[in-house]
Amino acid sequence: MMPATEPKDALREFRQNLRAAPKRMLETAFRSGPPRTDRSRSTFVFGNVFLHLHSVRTHRWSLRWLTTAGLGIATLAAFLITLVTGVLLMFYYKPYPDAAYQSIKDIHFVVPTGRFIRNIHRWAANGMVIAVILHMARVFYTAAYRRPREFNWLIGMALLVVTLGLSFTGYLLPWDQLAYWAITIGTNIAQSPREITDALGITEYFDPGGLQRLLLLGSDTVGAEALIRFYLLHVMLLPLVLAALLAVHFWRVRKDGGLARPADADEILARERHEETYPVFAELPQKTYHLAAIVRGRTPAVGRGPENTVPSMPHLFYAELGVLMVTICICLLLSICWDAPLKELANPNVPENPAKAPWYFLGLQEMVSFSAFMGGIGIPTIVLAGLGLIPYLDRESEGTGRWFGGPGGWPLVRFSLVFGFSAAILIEAFAIRFGWLREWFPNIHQLVITVLNPGTVLTAVYAAFSIGAMRRYNSTRAGALALFTCFLCGFAVLTVIGTYFRGPNWQFFWSPSDWPVH
Amino acid sequence: MKKNKYLLLISSLLGLGLLAAAAIEENYFREWRRIQEQARGESGPIPVQLRQIVNPALKAADRCVSCHVSMAPGESMLRGAEMLRPHKPVVHDPAEYGCTVCHGGQGQATEKDDAHGRVAFWPEPMLPREMSWAGCGTCHVPLGVPGEKPLREAELAFERLDCYACHRVEGRGGTIRPDGGGMEGPDLSFAGLRGYDAAWHEKHVKKAEAESGAWRKSFAPVSAEDQKRLEMFLRTRTGASALVRAKSVFLSSGCLGCHRVNGVGGDDGPALDAAGLKDPGRLNFTGVPGGRQVSAWMAEHFRSPVSVVAGSQMPPAALPEEGIRQLTFFTLSLRARELPERYVPKDRVRAARFGEREFATDGETLYGAFCSGCHGADGMGRRLAGLAAFPGIAHPDFLSIAPDELILRTLEDGRPGRRMPGWLKPEGLRPEEIRAVAAYLRELGGTTRQPDSRPARWVAGVAARGRALFERYCTGCHGPSGKGGEGPALNNKVLLAAATDTYLVETIRRGRRGTAMAGFAEPAPVRPALSQADVEAIVAFLRSLEGGKS
Repeated sequence: MMPATEPKDALREFRQNLRAAPKRMLETAFRSGPPRTDRSRSTFVFGNVFLHLHSVRTHRWSLRWLTTAGLGIATLAAFLITLVTGVLLMFYYKPYPDAAYQSIKDIHFVVPTGRFIRNIHRWAANGMVIAVILHMARVFYTAAYRRPREFNWLIGMALLVVTLGLSFTGYLLPWDQLAYWAITIGTNIAQSPREITDALGITEYFDPGGLQRLLLLGSDTVGAEALIRFYLLHVMLLPLVLAALLAVHFWRVRKDGGLARPADADEILARERHEETYPVFAELPQKTYHLAAIVRGRTPAVGRGPENTVPSMPHLFYAELGVLMVTICICLLLSICWDAPLKELANPNVPENPAKAPWYFLGLQEMVSFSAFMGGIGIPTIVLAGLGLIPYLDRESEGTGRWFGGPGGWPLVRFSLVFGFSAAILIEAFAIRFGWLREWFPNIHQLVITVLNPGTVLTAVYAAFSIGAMRRYNSTRAGALALFTCFLCGFAVLTVIGTYFRGPNWQFFWSPSDWPVH
Repeated sequence: MKKNKYLLLISSLLGLGLLAAAAIEENYFREWRRIQEQARGESGPIPVQLRQIVNPALKAADRCVSCHVSMAPGESMLRGAEMLRPHKPVVHDPAEYGCTVCHGGQGQATEKDDAHGRVAFWPEPMLPREMSWAGCGTCHVPLGVPGEKPLREAELAFERLDCYACHRVEGRGGTIRPDGGGMEGPDLSFAGLRGYDAAWHEKHVKKAEAESGAWRKSFAPVSAEDQKRLEMFLRTRTGASALVRAKSVFLSSGCLGCHRVNGVGGDDGPALDAAGLKDPGRLNFTGVPGGRQVSAWMAEHFRSPVSVVAGSQMPPAALPEEGIRQLTFFTLSLRARELPERYVPKDRVRAARFGEREFATDGETLYGAFCSGCHGADGMGRRLAGLAAFPGIAHPDFLSIAPDELILRTLEDGRPGRRMPGWLKPEGLRPEEIRAVAAYLRELGGTTRQPDSRPARWVAGVAARGRALFERYCTGCHGPSGKGGEGPALNNKVLLAAATDTYLVETIRRGRRGTAMAGFAEPAPVRPALSQADVEAIVAFLRSLEGGKS
């Protein structure tokens, strides 16, 4: 029986509905109310299309500043900043050789906030490369690549490559002397397999180097085709690939159980907060909270209770937004103080001397100066392969989640730093001071130099050092610690030499004031 | 978890602060904004906005007028900062042409140093203010410019004959008729471009006869020489007399002897068509006084070429500071570039298509432009360290015995193997111009040629004996087999083909005063005098070299 109600009056209903519309709009937009209880905080995350990649609860260990230094989020923040500023720049940038340089000048001088936005884009892009390298180092040193996170490490490496690709493709777009000749260098490095095929005399039948360069440039020279191609890669293809990989990367973080933490994370946290640990539940609960059905495999918080976890809303978001804001502040500060570089209009008749690749490739260019193939393709492949194999070669479990965890620890890393720097500096100093094989054997075959040059020697020295560490500590992790640290040192030394100490004709100079003038 | 909250709060506030700072800086502290804010027009303050002159044909979007507001189209008579003065009256309206086509600089920039181009990585800085007329060279080619001396005489003639009393030239002179009928005489500032009445002299004389009193004296007939000078003055009035003056100094410094400009000149040095567009970022400024300016580099280059350009063979310009300044001025004007058809001026078409000369074709100008760099302004030659001596071709001893044929042949064919190029070529001189130079040489030397009744070849000596004498007395300066050294190459085909035996004999006998070539007919402390027979034997030997023996 329906209760007695007033007779229906459509006009009154209309007025009532209209008055209630704003409140209703809010209610229908946000299906759950404000996040004031743990349950509604959970729904806030779980029920939101943008946020539901996050876990609903986050372990307190993950939010410690020292756990991650926020580097992953910083990389993402830098990406988002470049994305937003990049889209803004797309309103004015014209990707044609006759117009590109002028459009950058107009952006700099005329477009309101143009100078500012362009600067932010440039510094955020550089920041992203730095952050991704530091993030990779953090993940390595905290052994967070171990089971079950091996594949995520590989995804991360793919992200590293795509990040470098984004930075490289963007480098050409201003079409100034810096851009033109850096890309000339880069694409010539892509052509370096010719060093091998030429030495073997098979280039006319098998020319992967030429093919790579042709694919990159769409032509024999750096010109309009290359610019359009790089523009397309930079604004559409690579960001899409990056976004897809990021989605997988974050998804794997969740599926692999959140950020890695040591087995005794709870004790450490308790010590830091001067608490005692105690188990919350007498019996471990079968089900943690109201979520999707638990399937075979891992769930975010299997096998333990929600103690030491905090609701992601707001704690995780404070942390993430905090890192985002700090990254933004750093980019803003850099942009206010320093303009992004822009040299003269690209002139194919006037090569820059020295023509330098972007800074993150200068270590590579330094090695290329010894052997094009080894420096451009050989050693980077070895490095990438080595980095990719780390989680599969080190399957130990000691020290996961702790800085410099595992056999060897900080003392080994410290020693590796010393060794790594010294080896790199010594080998470079030798090559600079005395020259290399062609000094004493002018007719030596190119392949000998390809195999035996400062880059390969350094790689071999590092490998031997790593093997030595493995034996000394009887641990694959120790070997990995040694090798990775040496790699970082070598990268740093070669990049610094390539940036500051190489002048015209790639000669060594202590200072730019010693460079010969035209 | 409080740490992250505070991190977010503080970094957000800091971020907002930085954004506010950037916004304020951009909207309030830009120089062009401040300048426009204090400007006052006829109806009060002007709207503050970015201003530019756009000329797509010249690829210009010049934002200079955001600060130099009075020069923008439609703006004038603004009061306020110094730079709100309007542009000086010029032929080409800045509102149409923009600014950078004449002045250089970076038009798209809106900051002072960037706009003036005085920043790293801008290859075309603004021309120095006092040399702004060099900007005419972007499009124009002043035609028929004489050397420095003839031009100065022309300018002085115009003054001396009091033409300024009635005629205005570039804002100077002229009288306005008291009865309100305009100027007494036409404005002659552009007579070189627009032409002038060829019968001007007759008309002046007729007017003198018709008028009475004081006017009569003004129009007294002018001598033929002065008429020529006045006409040269008129022909060079193109509205840029400073540039024309600088060009006349260039044309008196012998630069065209080694350098090519617009396709005419020598090959020893680089072509100068883009010499005014030097990129300061690629120049070596060590040892250049006056800062990192292109004009300072150029001036030092003229004073001492080898200190700014390593390995340069260019001799220092033997000019006082004012001359160096003029050379710099003119060189900065050598900045021609591709122009859309509408902007190609007539003078460039006349020079490029119709072969009209940039320089006047009288002997004095031609000598000054092509020869004086090596042979000296007085024709007595130059000695420069490290280089073979350049002969004194107006030397009286030379001119008195040199046949015309020798001078003309040498001018036309040069001396292959030595620095003297042959000038009868498309990039060189025309036959009538070569003749003018030869005539001027005779004038410069001041001597007349001694008549020579003998045929070109009359020597009958023994070449073998001549060789022995040659090796004893001549190879020290003239090299083995006469291939040259301190002294000229005597085995040179052009020399031997064009020189008469009389010339050779007399040169050996008399020598050339002021040079190392002594007169061998006179005895000297280190050698006896050579007899006529000896000299003839030597000449016979030289003739034997003609047959191709090196």
